[in-house]
Amino acid sequence: MSMTQEEIEALMAGTSSDDTSSDSEESIDDILAGIDGITDGDPKEEESSSSESIDDILAGIDGITDGDTSEDVSNGDSSIDDILAGIDGVVDDSDNDNSTDDILASTNDIVEDTSSSKQKENIEPPRVEEEHKIVNQLNQVAEDTEEKATKIFDSLNYVLDEDAVLNTNIQSAEEFIEKQLDLLETLMQKFPNIAIFKENYEEAKSIKETLQGTHDTIEGINNNIFQAMEIMQYHDINRQKIERVMSVIKKLSVYLQGIFEYDLDKPETKIANHISGDNSPDVVTDDDLDSLISEFAEEK
Amino acid sequence: MKILIVDDSSTMRRIIGNVVQQLGVSKDDFDEAEDGVVAWNLLQKNKYDVILTDWNMPNMNGLELVKKIRGEGSQHRGTPTVMITTEGGKSEVITALKAGVNNYIVKPFNAQTLKEKLDPFFK
Repeated sequence: MSMTQEEIEALMAGTSSDDTSSDSEESIDDILAGIDGITDGDPKEEESSSSESIDDILAGIDGITDGDTSEDVSNGDSSIDDILAGIDGVVDDSDNDNSTDDILASTNDIVEDTSSSKQKENIEPPRVEEEHKIVNQLNQVAEDTEEKATKIFDSLNYVLDEDAVLNTNIQSAEEFIEKQLDLLETLMQKFPNIAIFKENYEEAKSIKETLQGTHDTIEGINNNIFQAMEIMQYHDINRQKIERVMSVIKKLSVYLQGIFEYDLDKPETKIANHISGDNSPDVVTDDDLDSLISEFAEEK
Repeated sequence: MKILIVDDSSTMRRIIGNVVQQLGVSKDDFDEAEDGVVAWNLLQKNKYDVILTDWNMPNMNGLELVKKIRGEGSQHRGTPTVMITTEGGKSEVITALKAGVNNYIVKPFNAQTLKEKLDPFFK
């Protein structure tokens, strides 16, 4: 419920306006939308970029070319060894039943691992350090802009002060020119045949007009500076908007801390690594289970 | 004419100070305070003809300051006080008026508005 200056005037006069229906309160989304750099993440975009990044990664690994894999394999064991040797972190742990399929599978795993780590870099938030703490950063923005605004104000004030000096100088020159004009006018009347008096009179008149023009230009500059100073109020208004966002984040932080709080004294229950339905090759099927049980039974 | 300008933003204090200077008040005739506490301390030592105060400030806000100024035993109860704030809500204006402010200006304001609001106190 925001009031205009006219409404305030009306209120001051005891006749308050009834127009209270408009609600200008901004939602948290609006506030966040107003801050540069806070955007709605689009997971689709990340997916597409990650698929692009797989190509990039493949292109970046020496020896892996975009082509028919079977052809590469047919080049023989030595070429695959060369490729693997060129990939950092790949060690030869075979005993050595190095079938082509195994090697290809391990290469694919490496590519997958690399791409998923790349994906994590894009998706996961940065580590919690001072420069990544949102409230700290916003506070710093508010403080920095205050400091810079003060410097801008210093510069504007400097121009205003110098303009005042220029105006004083112009005023002195105008006063002198005015006296010269009076003198030359008298001389012109007394000695109408002496051309130099008339010439100097005209020149002094022209200088007077130039000084008046310069004075007007300085007034124009000053008006623009005053306008700029008025606009600088938005620095204070925007700082208060930032403070409002900071307040929301602080409250959210306390709320989230509260909702995630748990009893530290209770021993932590072991969590299940593999649960039926997980999309993992390590989850055993009924057949796997039967075969493992019978295998162990045979060994006994 | 002695004026006290209270605002936590140094930029705002300077903007207001500039307008006040345009009204003919010299730099030596106005003091600045960054919050209500500093303002109250200045009020203990000096007498002012007009107090211009922001609302949202740390330590002691403008409303608390106005209430203190208008409080029992205060030697500044009769000093004209103008609230200059971003708070543009009707309820806030009413709260400020009830607390005892003589006039209310919503930021952003232009120099003319401030001049008009201060004019009665300069006569």
